[in-house]
Amino acid sequence: MRIATANETYRADEALLQTNVQWAWIGVLVVAMVAAPFMLNNYWLYLACLVAINVASATGLNILTGYTGLVSLGQGAFMAVGAYTVAWLETHIGTPFILNLVAAGGTAALVGILVGLPSLRVKGLYLAIATIGASIILQFIFLNWDGVTGGSRGMNVAPASIFGVQLTTYFQLYWVLTPIAALMVLGAANLFRTRVGRAFIAIRDRDISAEVLGIPLLRYKLLSFAISSFYAGIAGGLWAYFFRSVGPESFTIGESIFYLAAVIVGGMGSILGAIIGATFMTLVPEVLRFGVEAISPYVDNAGTLLSPVRTVVFGALIILFLVFEPQGLAEIVQRIRRFFHLWPFRN
Amino acid sequence: MLGMTKRTFMALAASSALVTAVPAFAQESGEIVIGGSLPLTGVFGFAGVAIEAGIQDYIKIINEEGGIHGRKLRLAYEDTGYQVDQSVAVFNKLTSQNENMHLYYGDSTAFSRTINPELVRRGDMIMAGASFATEINDPVNFAPQFIAGPDYTEMYSILLEYIAKEKPGAKLVFVNSDTEFGRDPIASSTARAKELGLEVVDQIITPPGAVDVSTEVLKLRRARPDYAIFHGYILAPLPEFMTQAKQLGLDTKFMGTFWSMDSSIWESVGDVADGFMGVMPYRYYYDEEEAPMLERIRQMRPTYQATGYMQGFLTAMLMSEAVKRTLDEGKELTSTNMKAAMNSIKDFDTGGIIGVPISVPGNTVPVGRIYQYDAGEKKMQPVSDWISVAE
Repeated sequence: MRIATANETYRADEALLQTNVQWAWIGVLVVAMVAAPFMLNNYWLYLACLVAINVASATGLNILTGYTGLVSLGQGAFMAVGAYTVAWLETHIGTPFILNLVAAGGTAALVGILVGLPSLRVKGLYLAIATIGASIILQFIFLNWDGVTGGSRGMNVAPASIFGVQLTTYFQLYWVLTPIAALMVLGAANLFRTRVGRAFIAIRDRDISAEVLGIPLLRYKLLSFAISSFYAGIAGGLWAYFFRSVGPESFTIGESIFYLAAVIVGGMGSILGAIIGATFMTLVPEVLRFGVEAISPYVDNAGTLLSPVRTVVFGALIILFLVFEPQGLAEIVQRIRRFFHLWPFRN
Repeated sequence: MLGMTKRTFMALAASSALVTAVPAFAQESGEIVIGGSLPLTGVFGFAGVAIEAGIQDYIKIINEEGGIHGRKLRLAYEDTGYQVDQSVAVFNKLTSQNENMHLYYGDSTAFSRTINPELVRRGDMIMAGASFATEINDPVNFAPQFIAGPDYTEMYSILLEYIAKEKPGAKLVFVNSDTEFGRDPIASSTARAKELGLEVVDQIITPPGAVDVSTEVLKLRRARPDYAIFHGYILAPLPEFMTQAKQLGLDTKFMGTFWSMDSSIWESVGDVADGFMGVMPYRYYYDEEEAPMLERIRQMRPTYQATGYMQGFLTAMLMSEAVKRTLDEGKELTSTNMKAAMNSIKDFDTGGIIGVPISVPGNTVPVGRIYQYDAGEKKMQPVSDWISVAE
């Protein structure tokens, strides 16, 4: 049971981690993350890196959609902007890895601001459609601006290099991708302890009231788009270094739907939600492979017969979670926490 | 305190579950594994299923004959849904789970490109796949890869050579989908057409998944070409083009490349499909010319097998031959050795899967033949000899 946790200062009241138990859990997480590369094989390391990239991007989208209430289906396109920026800088200028990433975030943020302009006039589904429109324009640019984007073939990306070490294996990439993703999540968590973050939430809850409270809507909505696209840009940059090739078909509208689904399945407006959602969406289809593998000895030609089942099960799981856990997977975590807070009493 | 203990216990339980979830596989064995990122679901699912069957059947034949130097072949594959990130995941999963994986089948151009640096880094594997992209036909940059057929530019060259012979100075229109797949051979093939004295009078690019093609058909009408070559599609919007062109009274001949050439997909189109032509690097399941390997396939599978089957079958055959030649020389199964062995394949008899002896001078098997669809028979019939475009 959780007792004696009364906060005595505002600072303590605002802290991200308020109890020793939370600190202990974070400690466990950090230890697990440090130990992971030494214990996981190449396949799980690949997935760990992919989860890190997806968490970074989903966290960005959560700032825009979950916290500011602006539905966007442009996250994939913003990631593509970041990925192409990295590819171009790496190929033509050869600037350092970190600088390329920041540039990727910056470029995507600028594009995000442009795309966000209609958000003052339209919201909800209308804004979602506007962002799809922007994605189509960007897709057209990627495909036809041959000189910069490499046209339909796209671009190959040289491996990232830090202190003269080329990051070519998943083991090496893990040590870069995971801390960056963690830093981005920490940044997002802290954002909502500031005036800006609270303004976003106010806009989400009721934009007219927010304006009455003195929040300039256009500025803050565009800021939200900029921050969210900055995250997408960095995630796209990491993606480019991870897959080492970027093309117009790398980031389709399907990717944008993937991230929106991750945020919704995980829990909108919750930092933990984006993390869990991105992890769920990335890992569940892979974990289901082991399900197929387990049944394989009992079914002839299992790989071919059961693969469609895997896709259906994944879809069904998403629907089931939405039906039974509309607040997202993060709500399950909250419920478990509440249970232990009250334990051994039931209510 | 007890609650804390319980939580610690749960944390321990969770982490131990994670640790045990990491599979510790891979027993040492003499078998040689072909890995496969296969598109069993998704837009390319129809091909993936056929490819898998083709590879499995060739493996069965080889294993019945005692394997390669006594080492059996095995296909370890998983579905990718035709998504690059999943294809890479499957690659990593299979390479982590299986030792002696020296051969790999990939599902797309994007995957071939993405995994190439990893193949070069590993140095113990050669790869082929469902992609015939011109880009992969680069023995320097794509050294560990090959294509079990002509690349898309070579397919166009085969079509163009046929046209130049049938109707010198013919007028052509290229119709391509606005995808990497569709745009692949346009530039190189336009130049090749000029060399052969053919005139490319228009190029039509259709958006991916386009259904309404009336504007494009009007362009075709204005250009009035002798041949319209389609690439970057499986079936749609080809039937729509052909129907509308017939209604407009055009006598243009419609042509396609490998992935449009399966006769079963044309069956549902009906009479409009009659006369559709295209380049096919392999024989059809029902071809009547002498082909012992086709005969064997027909014994193993009494019903029609799609073109993807033949592609998978020949890929497995060429991979096996490369492994056999490498082991014959007593060399290790490295990318370099297997690729050199692959390139040593000259005038190789495929048992009739391809109608002429083949060679692999670079990254492709640059040979193919023109077939034409006969709606009455519901079959593709050969209308040319085997055409080689090796330089």
